[in-house]
Amino acid sequence: MFYNTAGQFKTSYTKDQSLFPVKQDAILLGVVLLCAWIIFPMTASEFTFKTMLMPVLCYSLAALGLNVLTGFAGQLSLGTAAFMGVGAFACYKLITIFPEMNIIVAILLSGVFSSAVGVAFGLPSLRIKGFYLAIATLAAQFFLVWLFEKWHWLSNHNPSGAIEVPNIDMFGITVAGPNAAPVTQYYLILAIVTLITIVTINLTRGNQGRIWKATRDMDIAAELIGINLLKSKLTAFAVSSYIVGVAGALFVFLNLGAAEPNFFDIPLSFKILFIAIIGGLGSVMGNFMGAILIVALPVVIKFLPDAIGLEINPATVEHLNIMTVGALIIFFLIIEPHGLARLWQLIREKLIIWPFPH
Amino acid sequence: MKKLTSFAAAAVMAITAGAASAEGLSTPNLSYRTGPFAATGIPLMNGQRDYMLMLNARDGGIGGVPVDFSECETGYSTEKGVECYEATKGDAIVTQPWSTGITLQVLPKTNVDEIPILAPGYGFSPMADGSVFNWAFNMPGSYWDAASMILNEISGNDLSTLSGQKIAFLHLDHPFGKEPLPFLENMAEEHGFELLPIPVGLKEMQNQSAQWLQIRRERPDYVVMWGWGAMNAGALTEAVKTRYPMDQFLGVWWSGHDGDMEALGEAGTGYRSISYSAPQPDAQVMADIREYVFDKGDSLATESELDWVFYQRGLVISAMLAEGIKTAQDHFGEGEITASQLRWGLENINLTDERLAEMGMTGMVAPFSTSCSNHTGHAGGWMLQWNGSEWEVASDHLMPDSEAIRPLEVAAAAEYAEANAPWPIADCE
Amino acid sequence: MEFLKKLFVDPFVEMVSYPDFLMQVLWEGLVSGVLYSLIALGFVLIFRSSRIFNFAQGIMVVFAALTLVGFHAMGIPAWVSVIFTLGVMALLAITIERVVLRPLVGQPDIILFMATIGITLFLIGGGELIFGGETKRMITSDLGIPTGSVDFEPFGGLLILQHLDITSVAAAVVLVTGLLIFLNKTRMGRAIRALGDDHQAALSVGISLRTVWVLVWFIAGVIALMTGIFWGARAGVSFALEVIAYKALPVLMLGGLESITGAIVGGLAIGLLEKLFEIYWGQPLLGGGTETWFAFVLALIVLLFRPQGLFGEKIIERV
Repeated sequence: MFYNTAGQFKTSYTKDQSLFPVKQDAILLGVVLLCAWIIFPMTASEFTFKTMLMPVLCYSLAALGLNVLTGFAGQLSLGTAAFMGVGAFACYKLITIFPEMNIIVAILLSGVFSSAVGVAFGLPSLRIKGFYLAIATLAAQFFLVWLFEKWHWLSNHNPSGAIEVPNIDMFGITVAGPNAAPVTQYYLILAIVTLITIVTINLTRGNQGRIWKATRDMDIAAELIGINLLKSKLTAFAVSSYIVGVAGALFVFLNLGAAEPNFFDIPLSFKILFIAIIGGLGSVMGNFMGAILIVALPVVIKFLPDAIGLEINPATVEHLNIMTVGALIIFFLIIEPHGLARLWQLIREKLIIWPFPH
Repeated sequence: MKKLTSFAAAAVMAITAGAASAEGLSTPNLSYRTGPFAATGIPLMNGQRDYMLMLNARDGGIGGVPVDFSECETGYSTEKGVECYEATKGDAIVTQPWSTGITLQVLPKTNVDEIPILAPGYGFSPMADGSVFNWAFNMPGSYWDAASMILNEISGNDLSTLSGQKIAFLHLDHPFGKEPLPFLENMAEEHGFELLPIPVGLKEMQNQSAQWLQIRRERPDYVVMWGWGAMNAGALTEAVKTRYPMDQFLGVWWSGHDGDMEALGEAGTGYRSISYSAPQPDAQVMADIREYVFDKGDSLATESELDWVFYQRGLVISAMLAEGIKTAQDHFGEGEITASQLRWGLENINLTDERLAEMGMTGMVAPFSTSCSNHTGHAGGWMLQWNGSEWEVASDHLMPDSEAIRPLEVAAAAEYAEANAPWPIADCE
Repeated sequence: MEFLKKLFVDPFVEMVSYPDFLMQVLWEGLVSGVLYSLIALGFVLIFRSSRIFNFAQGIMVVFAALTLVGFHAMGIPAWVSVIFTLGVMALLAITIERVVLRPLVGQPDIILFMATIGITLFLIGGGELIFGGETKRMITSDLGIPTGSVDFEPFGGLLILQHLDITSVAAAVVLVTGLLIFLNKTRMGRAIRALGDDHQAALSVGISLRTVWVLVWFIAGVIALMTGIFWGARAGVSFALEVIAYKALPVLMLGGLESITGAIVGGLAIGLLEKLFEIYWGQPLLGGGTETWFAFVLALIVLLFRPQGLFGEKIIERV
């Protein structure tokens, strides 16, 4: 219907291989970007910024990182939250040791640390596969959170063990800490997320992405055609942990403002895994759709009864909320195990050939 | 995707509209009735809620203005805590974060949003320094107060007698549990006793056998517990198992939950918990609660819960807030006070014995007053002791060693201000 | 040098000088180990027959314990409540099979894994909605479980054994033995094992996949109830109990996801070793709290040398 491709001719291979072979896709993306860059910031309240827009972006980024590892390279990981923690703590140390450092530089640099840690914990992947590897990444999860608790140097010996984000200026504008305006923080997050997303899209479409996919689909076959599995798996861990680390630093520095070690515990890992799987493994767009569903929807449900004037005990709402999220996960897994991204693709295909059924 | 976002946007608009239409004095509570800490949270939240409902039913609110007491569920998660803070701050005149983690998160923001933060007996101990923490209040006592009172009690008010002794500090490995450490370390150094911090991770709350084996090995003279939620019951059961003498085992005010102790029964006899509130089942306020709230079926509490220490502490917490509101109303001469007016009110509370009697709460909390430089009030408290079936007050009114605490508070507050520069500092003179 | 001494000499000196304390540590380790084995067994049974990594095992423990306490609170005698609870667990098994597993049959492992996390969330929300968030008291004495303790004085020291712990070890041994007999001697038990060995061959000789699935989920429910009773008797029944599921994961890594022997041996080994490590190395050298990760790191090291776990089946990969 809206996706009628009649009249769009590909006259060269380059055009055929372009990112948006169908014009409407580009238009749709344009609309989404317009919303994200102009319409939302103009209309959103502080509440929307703080509890929906910014967390959705941060979670999407973390899920994107996980997706590189799990969706593209086929290595299941349950330690995502710990790597976010490494990013956040690294960023905190960078900022406090070098107060002059630009916050964006610090955030992007902190990913390097989580990347290194990720590679170290990725080493077992050379010997272990599947669920064994998943449980092995739990070792990273539990060990790192324990380390955040015990190694007081990481939180500058803060008695509470938490990291608290100071006010940070960039070119005269406060961008982090309590005095920062949500709009500024939102744009910063959006810029970094957009940048990393574009880089990742290109990475996964290029040579490296194909190497990862070959590793994922059949590692022995990949080895036979000359792919170095060691390199392939470890680069996946490195890139994935880098993105995840940056997401952690972004989340704590530009959205939350403070975080205690327990924040990076296993529930957060699962939440990100949900986003990646509900969104669609091996898809970039899926992470954003998954994050909207898993992060923003519960917030909406939570505050909806109050908004429409229903008097329900908030605890009951919370219980129903947890149940709904659980049921939704099962529901989406049943209707489309390949995630929302695939669901959208099916709808899109139907629209393209509409009104014909096949 | 677009549909979802537009749905979200519509919902958000509805939320903001809904929040604005609420009437009266909005005093949201960031409660937790779910999650691993729900057991200890629920009676407190019930107490807070029932007191405000009682005021609304009996007096039509405070100063004639009804109180809009709403709850927002956090499940003790800091992330949801921030959600709740952002959602409720619109027309709120106070925020009650209910977790040290959430308090730390919200603390710097209250300065910008200009909303007083009320953390009665929890949060960050240096909040006592009102010149730095302009908007934060933790009356009637801080964790450092609690630690000091416990040390005073076990040493018979002479800390030098502790010299050479060993005190194990069994605490939840969470900002809450670590809060009294700086004070205790300081005291240990000054008075020559050995402090042995034993952390209990969130995943180990139910199975503390390793921690109690350590206690058995180290044979400390006292075990001081900073526990919460499922950790308390776990620790008490293990203490019974390892036969640690109960009269050498003491806890903070959040580690004295009737439900935990009832499960233990006789075996828990002798365990003590410091408390800034004392249950008074026969107080006038309890009769009012029953008449105006409980008997009408408006309460979420159960019959037996009404006499619990935690439920009654919930009443005290709401009563202090109500007193702050009333003080502000009297001073500014208006009923519908604003957040900054309430800040003044909370800073000028003078809760005397007469006033407590007037409120029907004699003996439920010690009299105290707050000022610009003293946001804690340092009311002191009592030692409650479990007698096998219920808590009883087992000490005279105890006071913290303010002379030792004050310099630490000021130093820690200054450090906080420096780390969060630019930080506004009020002049209290 | 000083550090090496602390690492290699002091712990052993202490073990020898206080043998009674060492025995207490080993006993505590054994008790936890038995419970880890039980939970791991629940995982293994489900994994063998359906390739599902059942993350909901932890919440099933809480759910079973809460149901039991809930029935008893309604005035039903303790042992009748146990039977009712088993009925509820059977119902849960049937519902899960019908609503969640059947539509997802043949999906990749990770999808099924996710589905069990969905079940976990659903049960957390539903459980709190029905039973409330307060800590409940396990009906220990009503079930006839003794609560006192016996003292021994080996080497002039003191060793305290709780009746409760002794009972839980004994009950676990009975349950495991019963399960092994069931799996090895009965028709249904053999069907479960056959399905674990080869799905299609099992189907072709007429074994009903659905019946077996319901059955293994029900067995997992029975194990959950048993774990819930004994773990709940120690520290009360609350949703914080859910975390014990995590303790079973390294057991699975160590023992192998498919091995029943592995689950039993691995559970005991991890229970003992993590307690020893925490007491003699973790607390003096690392500030304590090592139990959260020690088992995982141990399992990780073992896996580096034996990727299929200690007892797991060697997978021969063909191109």
